[in-house]
Amino acid sequence: METTDSPDVADGSKSRPPGEASSSGKTESPVNLDAVRERLDRVHDPELDRSIIELQYIKTIDIDGSTVTVTFVLPTAWCSPAFAWMMATGIRDEVSTLPAVSSVTVRLLDHMHGDEITTGVNQGLSFESVFEDAEDGIEAVRRKLDHKARFARQHAAIKTLRQAGLDPDQIAPLTRAEVDLEHRSDLAAVRVQDGALTVTVAREPLADYLAKARETGLVTDETDRLFADREGDPLDPEPEAFESTLRDARLARANIEGQATICESLHESRNGVGFD
Amino acid sequence: MYTHNGEDVFVIDGHIHLWDATKENIIHEGGEQFIQCFYDYHTGFTPEEEQWDMDTYRHYGTERMVQDLFRDGHVDMGIFQPTYLTDFYDEGFNTTDQNAELAEQYPERFVLNGSFDPRDGDEGIEHLERLKDDYDIQGVKLYTAEWRGDSKGWRLDSDEAFRFLEKCAELGIENIHAHKGPTIRPLNRDAFDVRDVDDAATSFPDLNFIVEHVGFPRVDDFCHIATQETNVYGGLAVAAPFAQNRPRKFAEMMGELLFWVGEDNLLFGSDYGIWEPDWLIPAVMDAEFTQEERAEYGVELSPEVKRKIMGENAARLYDIDIEAKKEQFRDDAISQEFGLGDTYEEASAD
Repeated sequence: METTDSPDVADGSKSRPPGEASSSGKTESPVNLDAVRERLDRVHDPELDRSIIELQYIKTIDIDGSTVTVTFVLPTAWCSPAFAWMMATGIRDEVSTLPAVSSVTVRLLDHMHGDEITTGVNQGLSFESVFEDAEDGIEAVRRKLDHKARFARQHAAIKTLRQAGLDPDQIAPLTRAEVDLEHRSDLAAVRVQDGALTVTVAREPLADYLAKARETGLVTDETDRLFADREGDPLDPEPEAFESTLRDARLARANIEGQATICESLHESRNGVGFD
Repeated sequence: MYTHNGEDVFVIDGHIHLWDATKENIIHEGGEQFIQCFYDYHTGFTPEEEQWDMDTYRHYGTERMVQDLFRDGHVDMGIFQPTYLTDFYDEGFNTTDQNAELAEQYPERFVLNGSFDPRDGDEGIEHLERLKDDYDIQGVKLYTAEWRGDSKGWRLDSDEAFRFLEKCAELGIENIHAHKGPTIRPLNRDAFDVRDVDDAATSFPDLNFIVEHVGFPRVDDFCHIATQETNVYGGLAVAAPFAQNRPRKFAEMMGELLFWVGEDNLLFGSDYGIWEPDWLIPAVMDAEFTQEERAEYGVELSPEVKRKIMGENAARLYDIDIEAKKEQFRDDAISQEFGLGDTYEEASAD
């Protein structure tokens, strides 16, 4: 049972502080609470591009034998139903991947469409059949937000490369093959000028960025260029154009973080924070 | 008048309301949801000791408003931004006629804005003309996400809206404030999409388009438009209270806005009664960039810039002569009532 595709889970538990590892729900259950939390950490608020664990949306995790029930609450009752749906299905799908889990129930509390979303997601219905008058399909909304998140994450990735001394001529043409994320646990290696020069940089901004670049389909092959402008076109290495795209990415990030500030404030005042 | 480090700052609060959300006035569940949503914004960003109870929040009335703005709130003048919502509220939530009760009592202190809804057709045009006749309005506040029967909103770049914008240009109503901001329950989030402003602003270069709440959660779309169009402005309501509970996020947002939109195109607004100027204005005036932020954005949040945002930019849009106003306010009714005359004396700067 433990042998299926759970290397990620094992990694997750390993990297957890020992103090937290013992906090599992019912001792007789085969389902480990930490493993559930680790899966939930992969579910993001699609608009804020942050984990729902970090954002403290999870209210309770109940483990009963191999059955898991997750309740969550959003900063506002009027949070976009499409966003709420993506998080609810994300919770269901991520927790379901745990081999010890036989069924998952998701409950969205205190939301204007809480009942429709809870019922729809648990019954495996499609968003479009539950919200017939929604203007965009769920996948279209997800793509739009993912592209924005990809572009916003690019700011930190490029900043890191700039700080390591690389210039636009070297950064713009970089491909996936030229980045080694496994160089060290905290450092990535980047080869430039056809391998003539290798620089090491902080791993996290690049890894974060590449995860989203892969998800959006921008960087899937070794030969794909790493970076692109807001529209997905290759970066122009001409200094002024390069700077202008970098500033645009900074703006995309500021927009997401500004919205996160609003949501955090509403979440604090409506739901309190630090609930168990 | 507010003073900051010994310097006078003439404050024109660009976004104020006088609303009625009493139970008796609510005729649709959307009305209750709407005020509850407003209240969440209120508590979300207001220091705990300054928060109002729900009953006060539903209807604070003219007397309290005058005290909150002028006696306690450092405001010199306020611009009324109406929100009709007549499908939700029997007498409307915050209409020009309701606002006029106060604006006509202290005409020197208030700017009274109107509104239009292109879905009202000929009747709407007549309403706009009537507001111009009755109150000589210079601006309108638009709510593109307002419900009207089966319709859940309208766009500023539609033919119907253009007809009304043409009317505004003809009547000399130059300032078009569009609510483009966070979703407000139960209104549809996409009805606040900011992109329709682009076409309208290009087509009506003589009108000023003030995007309220700087387009959240689409500040980037708003900034792209404002960079291209000189007649597009940003209203800081919603962004301003970051200064109180998230000062570094406020600085970051101001860095972006000053870079993309510019110091001449940003207007302060408290969004009263959502937030109160007495704590909000000092929070904004005390905000400063760090060395790193200054280097990152290449812009300044200097006292001069803040004075523009706090009042000078709005004065330009509404043809307000600040020096003449200061002279008038040495002994107008408000100054007499609250003993503010001295603050408008020349010497008060020292």
